[in-house]
Amino acid sequence: MVLSVLLNARGAWSYGYELARLADVKSGTLYPLLIRLASQGYLEAEWQPPSDSGRPPRHGYRLTAIGVRLAQTNPPVKRAVTNSYRPEAAI
Amino acid sequence: MSGKLLRGFAVLACRALLAALPAQQQSWGLAIRREIADIPDGGDALLFALSSAWGLVPGAIAAHARCPRRLMILCAFAAVTLGIVYMMIAGAPDSYLFKNAGALAIGLAIVLFIGRLDIDHPQRVGMIIMGAAIALLATALLGQAAEGAVRWVSLVGVALQPSLIFLPVMMVAYSRTQAPLATAGVMIAAIALALQPDRAMAGMLVVGLTVIAALRPDRHVIAVLAVGLAGFAVTLVRPDSLPTAPFVDQILYSSFGVHPVAGMAVLCGLAFLLVPAIIGWVRDTANAVTYATFGGVWFAAVVAAAVGNYPTPIVGYGASAIIGYAICLLALPKSSKAERRDRYLMAGAA
Repeated sequence: MVLSVLLNARGAWSYGYELARLADVKSGTLYPLLIRLASQGYLEAEWQPPSDSGRPPRHGYRLTAIGVRLAQTNPPVKRAVTNSYRPEAAI
Repeated sequence: MSGKLLRGFAVLACRALLAALPAQQQSWGLAIRREIADIPDGGDALLFALSSAWGLVPGAIAAHARCPRRLMILCAFAAVTLGIVYMMIAGAPDSYLFKNAGALAIGLAIVLFIGRLDIDHPQRVGMIIMGAAIALLATALLGQAAEGAVRWVSLVGVALQPSLIFLPVMMVAYSRTQAPLATAGVMIAAIALALQPDRAMAGMLVVGLTVIAALRPDRHVIAVLAVGLAGFAVTLVRPDSLPTAPFVDQILYSSFGVHPVAGMAVLCGLAFLLVPAIIGWVRDTANAVTYATFGGVWFAAVVAAAVGNYPTPIVGYGASAIIGYAICLLALPKSSKAERRDRYLMAGAA
């Protein structure tokens, strides 16, 4: 899901909190993943100037060219519905 | 709990995470700290910070594991921080928080100043162990008394427990050299603890010696273990009726009554104390006895705090255990076998 959200950003910078919310993952899952993606060259991570003056810079993330290819070849897997009705259980 | 307080905890968790992260990941810690500032709800900010720490700290520990001294500083910092979180939630006076943080700074400053004990000079290490033992004996004879126990000395208005400061480092150093002077020093320490009397510390000494005797049997160690057991028996016979001190004793149980987060902070803080011993034992087999002794003595302190009115080390209020934990660094190996091998390979590659 994280790759998909980054891909959908279409080259715009994404930030940690909104990325965690949009991808529906905990920050404890997000950051180790981002660190791994950045170390393997799939992700650019840079301090971006703030939109409002007086605010400190934010750490932004966006996919590199090979990151885009990785995201395109690994579409998000739809989550299994855990509480789905199982007919065999009703027999 | 107010949003401001929750945000304060979130910032504290971020600072602890920043201290834990290796140099190459510092920018990620700063990024999390920056995100916290933009999260409108204090509770969400705290969850974001704690979850980030939960995800990144195992990797940070693994990165530091090759250098036992760095790992131990990290664990001491984490345990003291979690102790401060517990005390903040439990409503301890602010001075308690500052004293615990100050004790860690003092302990690390001592380590920075002294460096480390030169285990290659057993006579010198023996003299240091003997000096510490004499300090424990002097405490038993001249220290501050309370309810029949004489365990404390007053230093610039602060009551310190010398046994919690000196005994752990003595035992770790003794695991590395059993010179006759060091053996005599540990025997004197056993007698001093029986005189104080202090069941917890006498138990710590016995556990440390048992670990050494089990892993590196030696007639000196067996002899001093016999004296230690006799001293421990004396402490069991003598009355020990100190009342529970708030934020110091029995907090392992009472903290969960305060708040589940406070309880988890205490539990995780105590677990951090043993991490260097476990990782050192696994990764640095050449110094396994030393790491086992280190783990044994601090485990004994935790058990004593769980079963009686004895200070809960590091996470509870009290400077002595924090200084004692930090100065154990003096006696731990400087680098692990894995780190030495890496340096050798890098030198070869260069």
